[in-house]
Amino acid sequence: MKHFTFSWGNNYIAVRGLLRTLGHDLATPPRIGPAIAERGIACAHPFLCFSGKLVLGQIAAQLEDGERRLAFMSSLGPEACRCADTSDYVRSLFAEYDGFSAHRFGGGGFDGALENLRSHFGPQIRRSQCFRAYAAFMGKVDLLYKVDKRCTRLRCLSTEPSRVRAIEREALDRIDRAPGPFALWRVSRWFDRATARFPLRREPPSLRIGIVGGEHILSELDSIMAVIKGMAERGILLDWRSGFRMLARSSERTLAPLKEKCRDYLHEAPSTSELFSCAHALDFVSEAYDGLLHIYAFGCMPQTALKPVLQRIAADAQMPLLSLAIGDRFAEEGLEGRLEAFIDLLDARKNQGVNP
Amino acid sequence: MVGGAAPPRVGVPRSILHYEFDGAIARFLRALGVEVVLSPPTNAEIFRTGKRLVIDELCFPIKIFVGHVAHLASQGVDRIAIPTIVGHVNDRVFPCHPRSRLPDIVRALGVCDADRLLTPAFRYDREGLAKGGFLALAQSLGISEAAAERALPERRPTRQTPNVPVAPGGLTIGVVGHPYVVEDRWASNQLVGRLERLDCRVVTDTAPTPIDYAPEGTGLHFALAARTVRMTRVFDRDDRIDGIVFLLPFNCGPDGDVARHLARTTSKPLLTLVLDELQSSAGLVTRLEAFIDLLRPVPAAAGGRST
Repeated sequence: MKHFTFSWGNNYIAVRGLLRTLGHDLATPPRIGPAIAERGIACAHPFLCFSGKLVLGQIAAQLEDGERRLAFMSSLGPEACRCADTSDYVRSLFAEYDGFSAHRFGGGGFDGALENLRSHFGPQIRRSQCFRAYAAFMGKVDLLYKVDKRCTRLRCLSTEPSRVRAIEREALDRIDRAPGPFALWRVSRWFDRATARFPLRREPPSLRIGIVGGEHILSELDSIMAVIKGMAERGILLDWRSGFRMLARSSERTLAPLKEKCRDYLHEAPSTSELFSCAHALDFVSEAYDGLLHIYAFGCMPQTALKPVLQRIAADAQMPLLSLAIGDRFAEEGLEGRLEAFIDLLDARKNQGVNP
Repeated sequence: MVGGAAPPRVGVPRSILHYEFDGAIARFLRALGVEVVLSPPTNAEIFRTGKRLVIDELCFPIKIFVGHVAHLASQGVDRIAIPTIVGHVNDRVFPCHPRSRLPDIVRALGVCDADRLLTPAFRYDREGLAKGGFLALAQSLGISEAAAERALPERRPTRQTPNVPVAPGGLTIGVVGHPYVVEDRWASNQLVGRLERLDCRVVTDTAPTPIDYAPEGTGLHFALAARTVRMTRVFDRDDRIDGIVFLLPFNCGPDGDVARHLARTTSKPLLTLVLDELQSSAGLVTRLEAFIDLLRPVPAAAGGRST
């Protein structure tokens, strides 16, 4: 049986891996672009975050193409973003499509995940099947993250960024086709070897910028993050430590040290997204990065609530911070203009001793 | 008070959690013998102060709230109570992120010294506000647990249906929205008064009703959005209610989410009014008059009425 989902960058590949383990398949979501954004804006309330609008735009486009079975992965950990667990709400928005069903995967721990799979596919799903499905999902999420991070790094450090992009495309294709853990391990080995041979630039990165922000935007590739990652090819080392992988793997145990790290800035019950961004910003400060880039979807509540906190962290550390809210009127030209100004500022600060 | 020391003057912002908790924090502090300084009702100056301090993207009520805190900070109170609401004990429904970050936002903005803030964390349980937050508040003022237990407010049971007036004639309008919008006359742009001047009876439910589930068909995690949906359904099924007005503060994510859901699933006439910082009453009055005229059996608009 075929399902459909939204992309969140390339993470749909991991969802497809999970479904294929269970004998199902997943349609490839349409690429994010102006048409998808406009569809989402048309069917969402204006106050919904921009990431949510992109998700709704992708759902609407696929429903119009005849897809009916929405399957999506919400976070497995204690994430309280409104995007999680809203399958009933999503169904109500598209009630005019006969036969439309929406179901989320994930859930609290293994038993919650098993219960969710059974409620969707029936009680015949065995524990061993659930285990294999999530092993495939987690394995692909991990490898997607590794490919994304290393290729962005190599686009900065290597002399052949176009080859890096080609390797990245091939790696994504191999991850998608890998049927099981052994095949994934082989893809990982192939990727390690392929990327180990790249000729590197002699000069070190001109700047190091730490990126924090909404996981849904950070995982997006087709429009927004493509512009951001383009900075790497100008010799700027980009680093981010949040993402779909961290959300999928978060638990109270893994979040406890982050809460401790953030205790001067965040107090009661921060959400996972807030915690990641705050903790990673503090990491970048302690590692003496040249600047902080905060990227989030306009209307994203956790990141908006966190913005004054990040401004305080940057002020306390005297580190330049650029907050970029990506919203309905997002235009690549404006984004590039603001990024260039920020880079010029960081460059002047680092190389000419200019204090902004 | 303990030790015979002069009781501290504690400021309580008349905003967000004051309304959401139905004034329980101020009553509790008074019962402990603390001198409570409640900030005045919201006015343009308080709002402008908050707006200057807060980033544009945060919602309208947060700007009002920060204005109240700044007002209290300028009044020389010893401490300012900014409780945090962190959710329900069932871990199924939560406050929106900005509401759960109020103390952190105030600290980050530097509105007042961090050591002047009292920031106890509150949770809801099935009976109302769980007592742990009250005890933590008392403890942070150096008051014994026994004294705090004696001062605990009466817990409110879940109220399923509002008290609808039954007088004959006229229209009855149910108003739904966050308590800190519906009850704050400045934030709501005097909505209740304007409706009453249009010869309407107004029904609101501003009791701090704990909600321990997401209403069916929503999957909602956010407590107040779930409450908005539930109250709208209560009004929708009540034959005594003629129409529903939904007050939606600008840029409120959770209630923005449910706005279209309500428009699709509510059978009674529903007017959604977005309240923003521009506070222009002209458009609001026109929309209210048009809505009320639509509900009346014989339109009265020909008379050229003005509120």
